[in-house]
Amino acid sequence: MNLTPIVNKTNSQVSVFWKSLRRNPMGLVGLAMLIAILAVAVFAPLIAPVHTAEITSKDIYNAPNSTHWLGTDDAGNDVLANFILGSRVSLIVGFFAAFISIVIGGLIGIIAGFYGGRVENTLMRITDIMLVIPDLPLMVVIIALTKPSLFNIIFVIGIFGWTTTARVVRSQTLAVKSRKFVLRARAIGAGNMHIIRHHILPLVLPILVVQAVLTVSSAILNESTLSFLGLGDPTAPSWGQMLNFAFSRGAMSTGAWWALVVPGFGIVWVVLGLTLFGQGLEQVLNPRLDTHHLMPGRPVVQSETAQLPSSEKILLDVRNLSINYINDDKAPARAVENVSFTLKEGELIGLVGESGCGKTTLMLALLRLLPAAGQIVNGKVFFNGKDLTALNEDEINAVRWKEISIVFQGAMNALNPVRTVGDQIAEAIIKHMPGFPHDLRLQERVVELLELVGIAADHKDHYPHQYSGGMRQRAMIAMALACNPQVIIADEPTTALDVMIQAQILELLDSLRKKLGLAIIFVTHDLGVVAEMCDHVLVMYGGVTAEYADVDTIYNEARHPYTQELLKAFPDLTKPKKKLSSIPGYPPRLDALPAGCRFAPRCPRVYARCHTEQPILYKLSDNHIASCHLLEASK
Amino acid sequence: MTPPLQHGTFPLQRWRMLLKRFGWALFTILFVVVLNFFLFRVLPGDPARQGIRDPRLTPETIQAIRVRFGLDKPIINCFESLNPVKVGSCGVNPLDTQFFIYVKNLLKGDLGQSFYYNRPVKDILGERLWNTILLIGAGQILAILIGVVFGLFAAWKARTAIDYAALISGLVAWSLPTFWLAIILLFWGTNHGLPIGGKATPGMSSYPFMQQMGDLLQHLFLPTLAYTIIYMGEYMLIMRSSLLDVLAEDYILAAKAKGLSAFQILKDHALKNSMLPLVTLIAINLGFTVGGAVQIETVFSWPGLGGAIFEAVGRKDYPLLQGGFLLIAISVILANFIADLTYSYLDPRVQAD
Repeated sequence: MNLTPIVNKTNSQVSVFWKSLRRNPMGLVGLAMLIAILAVAVFAPLIAPVHTAEITSKDIYNAPNSTHWLGTDDAGNDVLANFILGSRVSLIVGFFAAFISIVIGGLIGIIAGFYGGRVENTLMRITDIMLVIPDLPLMVVIIALTKPSLFNIIFVIGIFGWTTTARVVRSQTLAVKSRKFVLRARAIGAGNMHIIRHHILPLVLPILVVQAVLTVSSAILNESTLSFLGLGDPTAPSWGQMLNFAFSRGAMSTGAWWALVVPGFGIVWVVLGLTLFGQGLEQVLNPRLDTHHLMPGRPVVQSETAQLPSSEKILLDVRNLSINYINDDKAPARAVENVSFTLKEGELIGLVGESGCGKTTLMLALLRLLPAAGQIVNGKVFFNGKDLTALNEDEINAVRWKEISIVFQGAMNALNPVRTVGDQIAEAIIKHMPGFPHDLRLQERVVELLELVGIAADHKDHYPHQYSGGMRQRAMIAMALACNPQVIIADEPTTALDVMIQAQILELLDSLRKKLGLAIIFVTHDLGVVAEMCDHVLVMYGGVTAEYADVDTIYNEARHPYTQELLKAFPDLTKPKKKLSSIPGYPPRLDALPAGCRFAPRCPRVYARCHTEQPILYKLSDNHIASCHLLEASK
Repeated sequence: MTPPLQHGTFPLQRWRMLLKRFGWALFTILFVVVLNFFLFRVLPGDPARQGIRDPRLTPETIQAIRVRFGLDKPIINCFESLNPVKVGSCGVNPLDTQFFIYVKNLLKGDLGQSFYYNRPVKDILGERLWNTILLIGAGQILAILIGVVFGLFAAWKARTAIDYAALISGLVAWSLPTFWLAIILLFWGTNHGLPIGGKATPGMSSYPFMQQMGDLLQHLFLPTLAYTIIYMGEYMLIMRSSLLDVLAEDYILAAKAKGLSAFQILKDHALKNSMLPLVTLIAINLGFTVGGAVQIETVFSWPGLGGAIFEAVGRKDYPLLQGGFLLIAISVILANFIADLTYSYLDPRVQAD
């Protein structure tokens, strides 16, 4: 076997790890605290002050002074010396007890996760029972009945400290077990031990390390507690015992705060250091974006006010909208650039493109629902002549759902799992129609909405998990209709559904449009889906407009190579012998956009200019624009 | 396609789950009962048996002690002692073994006689159980309330100074040794006119009720404060991380799209969902919180169960220790069961697993 690349790999992993740890202040502070106390413990005999003078009764509970920097205790001993020597006991007990816990917990976790079935069941039941039994009283009982030696204390703390580790390791093993390379190793006949050692263990190890750090801290806390309760090893005085002696021998009544504060400070120092370091490690190994939907959005960059839309019939007029995702470390990602379109009353426009082309970003920006990193950097959104990009939070809240509502992709996640569907529909009505009666009439309206989308009234008070996938999507549509909006944004509403249900949902949307006079923006990655219903189609690629035209033009005279390729992927019943093809490759990553045309790397008709220069939008007719260098001549 | 729906009634599945959870609680209690029996017989240190080893005693006295503590009887059927190799007679009446006498006494509520107080253990623990429940109850409620509110703010204002301050103080609170915090608070309190410990000022019982209550509150203040600080940090951290997960969910974006204000979203869509992991944590934590109670009761001489255990260790009062541990363990198991039920009530998704 070739060893070098493996060494390199480990090296680079270590350096990547170190790099991210260096940027984690919490982890670093913890590490520094630990190194400091470890140094104290290692060099304890060298640095502990030695007082050879005979101890007399005058030396008891002396306040800190020049000879005894941290004062003296109930026996006249130097508190600083005891503190330094005591660090060894606390750390030794902590590390060895945690070692026992980690070995037991790790083994139980891996075995339970890996073997599953009855083995897992039994082991996890044992873990549950261990978890429920109060551990400190049990430790007290056991040590009280045996000898409080250092060995017994380590053993007892170790034996009762493994439950959390077992649970965490088990769930990680379960997650790792079903990964491809493990299944592959199993398929080529690798033994269980081999799989565990070479495939499972390396991926469980980081979590085990974090657990180890946290387990050491709880072991040290347990040791100090037992010692404080008088169950410490009398031959190895620890910080807990210092506190026990001081507390039970008059430090409180004599006001000798130093004898109480100093040892406790040591425990807090070590435990806090371990906790911070453990949390830091966890963040490095398992990074998580602490962002959410209620974080304040970035302010809209106000561009010059363009002319208001002239036509009375235009509901929504999006002009030159550009959206960036701001990243502190890197250049902003240009997720959407210079996109314009209009939506008239009762019109259905299809927004088409593969996943990752900025469609959802564009839709969220219309209602100013971008995630915290997203920012509108240019352009305007006019709705009924009102500039949505200039509204404040309260004003935009009045537009949301009342005027423009959204049918989200994946209704399972867009419905709150712990509230009934009817309740969630009613909520929108209560919010936006303050005059609406709150009683039976409201419930009737909810039933009416559900029936409109084909859901029987008795499902009103059910929870989302009791609905099927298609029903959830319908419920989502019912919710979107609740406040009689003028525009509905349907963001890939049929993606996760099977073909039959897809067709039903599409038909439903189309019939509702006709019945209620809705304008709909239909987002999809499938040109075929919108063929029958749309009036206009906007094709997006990599965040820019590829082509925008009425539906007939798109289907018969598409000029952009991307549109043409999408059409090739769409079966045509009139030409059954036509070969279907899909476009090789993927849309560009937002943080690595090509310098020229964004479609250039995948374009079948690419030439040199495409790689260096971004094409402008060419207006081919009143109703047709496209962005491709090939169109320059035809203009 | 849809699961069978029974509305308006308590679903059958839920009854089944309830029964299953109850079965597990019972099983765990049984396990603790057995553990408690053998622990005090396997481990050295029981004075009754230590006495037997005393060379000054005559065989008659030893036999008398053995009879007095029931040690003359076989441990369980077929086993004279805990030595598994030394098989005894299996013809003994199974009801006349140490284990069954222990179980029988337990069922009668008889936990033996305290060596130190020379009173039934049951009576001593009965008085003290309520004091512990009072302390843990007050502390838990405060810790949960404060932890939830702070965690909520920290998550809502994620990545701001409020969040970092909450995070750091939560981690510090988590790192404090309970008994040490208690000592520091007691030290501070006694210098500020608060009582030095116990549950009531001596002689208080002759005062009017309201004054007694005020006195009790004064005594309760510091232990509750210690308890609250210790557990608040952990609840806050869990609430924060759980709410961060919830607020990143699609249904929060949907609620925002509905035009709800941040306050409405937090109240109606985020709070309940993010409280669910907290309920689990509270249940799991009960075992640990009792550990905290042992420490706090010890420092503040609060006459509760935890203090009883500590005193029993010092006085080698084994019947009290044994009974105290059993009562604590059973209380925790039952409280855990109740928390489980609460969870299944709060989360409509929970079905029989």
